[in-house]
Amino acid sequence: MAILKTKPHDVLDNFKLYLSEKSDLTDAAIDELLKDVRVEVIQKGDLLLTAGDVCKHAFYTEKGLLRAFTVDESGKEHIIQFAPENWLISDRSSIYFNEPSEFFIEAIEDSKVVFISAEFMGMVSEMSSKFRKANDRALQSHIHQLQQRINQLLGATAEERYLTFIQKYPDLLLRVPLWMIASYLGITPESLSRVRKDLAKKNFKS
Amino acid sequence: MAIKNIEIIVNPPAPHFVGDGFRVHNFIPSAYHLDMQRMSPFIMLDYNSKFHFPPSNEPKGVGVHPHRGFETVTIAYKGKVAHHDSTGNSGIIGEGDVQWMTAASGILHKEYHEEEFSRTGGEFQMVQLWVNLPAKDKMSPPKYQGITNDQIQKFTLPDNAGEIEVIAGEYQGLTGSASTFTKVNLMNAKLKKDGVANFSFPAHFNTALLVIEGSIEVNGKDNVGTDKFALFETEGETFEIKASEDAVVLVLSGEPINEPIASHGPFVMNTKAELMEAFNDFNVGKFGYLED
Repeated sequence: MAILKTKPHDVLDNFKLYLSEKSDLTDAAIDELLKDVRVEVIQKGDLLLTAGDVCKHAFYTEKGLLRAFTVDESGKEHIIQFAPENWLISDRSSIYFNEPSEFFIEAIEDSKVVFISAEFMGMVSEMSSKFRKANDRALQSHIHQLQQRINQLLGATAEERYLTFIQKYPDLLLRVPLWMIASYLGITPESLSRVRKDLAKKNFKS
Repeated sequence: MAIKNIEIIVNPPAPHFVGDGFRVHNFIPSAYHLDMQRMSPFIMLDYNSKFHFPPSNEPKGVGVHPHRGFETVTIAYKGKVAHHDSTGNSGIIGEGDVQWMTAASGILHKEYHEEEFSRTGGEFQMVQLWVNLPAKDKMSPPKYQGITNDQIQKFTLPDNAGEIEVIAGEYQGLTGSASTFTKVNLMNAKLKKDGVANFSFPAHFNTALLVIEGSIEVNGKDNVGTDKFALFETEGETFEIKASEDAVVLVLSGEPINEPIASHGPFVMNTKAELMEAFNDFNVGKFGYLED
């Protein structure tokens, strides 16, 4: 009956940890930086970015769950990315090229979100070379993920896509409706059910 | 024997919905003072206080979800719940019945309002309690005890005071109906106005009560009203409940399991690595499959 809630974070525990792991800044310097950072508590269904607008921030999920998606001409949604706790989500190219985004970014759970501007990233990179390197690495890793995703969407079986998904997002199956996962994987909900049923047949020992 | 006094009385926290069928106040672990370590072996208690559900053709409830590492105990006071699980079990928990499900190594289940109840609608009142398992039993095979009300052992109190339904544990030499892995006492005291019941549990057991109906006076001094939860001190052994009006009181007392707890969502294990394993096992179908 019950699903346990994670404890509410009074402060930005996750974001603070993220900054201290990626930079060599002192706790005091990080606390100082956090004073000016914009944090919003948003509700399930709230939009952080609407297609047609220029994306101005990267969004860090302190708590909750966000998704980026597009809507095609027939009105069908296609999920680009999920962002549970400790993930960043944005439209990088919209920010960089200052062009209207094709993405919507929406909260799929009540969430606490840190708004990260390009200025903030620049400032922290100036303060800490470790952060700048970590940030470069994050960009490369993002490209790596996108390449893997393109390749899988073009050529992998539904099961292969699913197995990659659960490695990347171990707890999402319990947090989002299956149709969203199917949308992310580029398969039908029926096909996702079949994959899960087949895996259970293979792996379930009663 | 020393008196066991109340440490704190907790008002029902703001309710939230679990799925669309259970409107619950979560006492354990999120209410102040009622965290998992303090309440062990009771690691979660959701209370659906009396709530009127309108008729619905589509039964409301919670879809397929897993559990590992503990037991779920559902006590139905009003309304009926139908359940199905991945081991092929299914059934109905009717008014007065108790379902004691040992998830242990892993089970998938779903719980919905029973069809007929859903169609007519009506008052719904339930408790769901999670009882932790010791590390050595967390990966034992799942099992299931469906205990209908007529199977629950009942102790008749003297002086026409009412009766004690002994779900698990022991009351005045009468042994409860459910088998447990550690020492757990779980009982419903159904008292008539001015009826008195005395309880005795080892001092170090974590002990609490929840007033389901009516109101009571504990140890001749503390009044506890409907829907309130009282936590006892871990000192003293005996306490007395007197019904200020006709009352139903859920009494729980268990030996603490002094092991580390790593919990996330529906999994309660001892280490973070075991939690990750639980997520992975669920994701790759090791819990089986159950149609939504």
